[in-house]
Amino acid sequence: MDKTNSKSNSVPHQKRRVSRRSVLKGAAALTAAGFTWKSIGPFVRNAEAATLELRWLGWEHYNVKSLTAEFENRHDVKVSAGFFDGNSEAWNKLRAGGTQDFDLVMADGFWPRLYAKQGLVQAVDYSKLDLSNVFDDFVPPKFTLLRAEDSEDMIAAPNCWGGYGFTVNTDKVAAEDQESVNLLFNEKYEGHLSTSARFEENIALAGILAAHNMGTQDGPRPDGKSFNPYVLSDEELEECKRLLIKQKGLLVNRWNDEDTLERLLRAQVVWASPEWSGIYRRIHFDKLDGKSDLNMRHVLKPTEGGLGWVDQWSITSGVTDSEKLEIAHKWIDFRLEREAMKTVAVEIGWAPTVDVRDMLPERYVDTLFLNETGSIHGLYQFDAPSSPEKWERIWSAVEAA
Amino acid sequence: MKGRRALLLDPRVRFATLVGPGALFIVLFLLIPLLSIVVFSFWRTESYELISDWNVNNYEAVLGEWIYLKFLLKSLAMAAAVSAICLVYAWPCAYLIAKHGGRYKLVLVLLTAAPFLTGILLRITAMQQILGPIGLVNMALMELGAQPIQVLMYTNIASAVGLIYLWIPFMLLAIYLSLFNFNFELLEVAKVNGARPWRAFFEVTWPLNWMGTAIGIVLVFIPTFAASVTPRFLGGPDGSMFVNRLEHQFGSAGTWALGSAMGVVMCVASLAVIFVLWRTVRLRRAGFTGAGA
Repeated sequence: MDKTNSKSNSVPHQKRRVSRRSVLKGAAALTAAGFTWKSIGPFVRNAEAATLELRWLGWEHYNVKSLTAEFENRHDVKVSAGFFDGNSEAWNKLRAGGTQDFDLVMADGFWPRLYAKQGLVQAVDYSKLDLSNVFDDFVPPKFTLLRAEDSEDMIAAPNCWGGYGFTVNTDKVAAEDQESVNLLFNEKYEGHLSTSARFEENIALAGILAAHNMGTQDGPRPDGKSFNPYVLSDEELEECKRLLIKQKGLLVNRWNDEDTLERLLRAQVVWASPEWSGIYRRIHFDKLDGKSDLNMRHVLKPTEGGLGWVDQWSITSGVTDSEKLEIAHKWIDFRLEREAMKTVAVEIGWAPTVDVRDMLPERYVDTLFLNETGSIHGLYQFDAPSSPEKWERIWSAVEAA
Repeated sequence: MKGRRALLLDPRVRFATLVGPGALFIVLFLLIPLLSIVVFSFWRTESYELISDWNVNNYEAVLGEWIYLKFLLKSLAMAAAVSAICLVYAWPCAYLIAKHGGRYKLVLVLLTAAPFLTGILLRITAMQQILGPIGLVNMALMELGAQPIQVLMYTNIASAVGLIYLWIPFMLLAIYLSLFNFNFELLEVAKVNGARPWRAFFEVTWPLNWMGTAIGIVLVFIPTFAASVTPRFLGGPDGSMFVNRLEHQFGSAGTWALGSAMGVVMCVASLAVIFVLWRTVRLRRAGFTGAGA
């Protein structure tokens, strides 16, 4: 009896024997099945069990995790966010099919009206929102940009507001120079000025000064409307170009991020720069806490006029499902709650359009200008340039000079 | 079974199998997007909208108007200057490491790439802390009662310093790899035959390592030409480069057609530089044997 026979006798069902090869095959099959299920799993789940997802497109600083978590728990939905740096970027995203990717979009100034004109957003049902705590200054009839230009539809709800004023080192800049846009073009402060890299706001601020100097700010405008620094005549744009080319030689830099400007302001390398007031607030708080000797002020509205914004929530036209529409309104309503607005004011430092003054320390009320909400009406609202192509040429000419 | 094996042995099938996936990838993710950019460059933009109105105005603007042409020339000049400085700096370093590095060669080369363990933004921020008005250099000078160095504060020089710092490891690595395979005994032969060290370098070392040097130049020139973050953060109000203008078209300006033309011009300029350098490489002279030349 050879070994083979003996083996075959002791194991009568040899064909069913578990060999190393069959174990490896089985393991490979199981692994493949696992990977397959893992990859297709999200697409084959029962639709009834899927969690509703609300997607918003906005400025990243509004992505407050605690608020998102609270809303998700309250309504059993998932909230996700996409971000942009400027209105035109969001506009391009929505135009390129973004209304299917996002349910809500943030915008400021005139931008919601532009979205509405292009059919990118739909009406917001104000009956579903509690606006009782919103300052009068940010809702109609006082603030009309929330309404479509050609109908009575409300197309947006307010969120936060602010200006694009100047933060000024009062120890370095003469008092008589502090409140004029001309400060940013003043040769006296050569090598101590800075501006942001945002081309629209640089041209718009220069446009305010140009129109003021040319005497065209209060006169009749070609479009029959009141002066808007984003709708400038060719002559005004030429003057802007001249001013901005002159300004280049006076600047330390054009800041891309707030950290850079803050460092330069704290080191007193830069004495004045336009900014959103957040840097001013941080430096001023340090002064109040005895950590800094710097004397800073923020000029919200310069004498020639300044830029301002009320950022808003709009619902994109891609939201057709009633359940999604409902939850989109609930999100806006949630963000308008006083507790949520207090969190936004304290954690990210933007001024709420909701009256939370009694919930905030005095220093926040002062530096967020919450006792001066009426000043928003004296500020030119952010808008799209009347001709992006012309503005681009002006800016390229300035950069090349 | 036999038929299948025969098919697999067919050189054309094997070639297609090997090249196919890579070629498909390039077609899908490089050629088609590039083609769309070429098409857009002949259109125009109006109020953030692309309009398929075929014209060559964008190319006339980019190549004919100083406000755009200046940035193209400035970027080419910057890339040439940065490549030249990297070359002058990296050659002796790579030479010393390759010849005298002994068993620490690899460690020394890897050390030059240490900054790459962090992201580009971090490296640029670090450069700001060194070069800026409140950077280490100028703060130290001011502490000593000296005037700060103005050219290091948000200028094109600061941009160049930042770019050199970023791309030197690429140049050094390319030259080092070339020298790694270089037979240094050839220099002894040259010396024995009466060549002075400089002549031996220019007639033996340099030509035999020109391919690695050319690769290093390409590896520095192209990313410098395409650099946007460094000039944006270090360059100051006058620091804008061609790519910054290009980004601007696709970003807040929304003038995509003009941006596309700038992209095409940039691509052609980059390819031209590679072509010119490629023409200078003599494979046989460089001792390259891989192509059967």
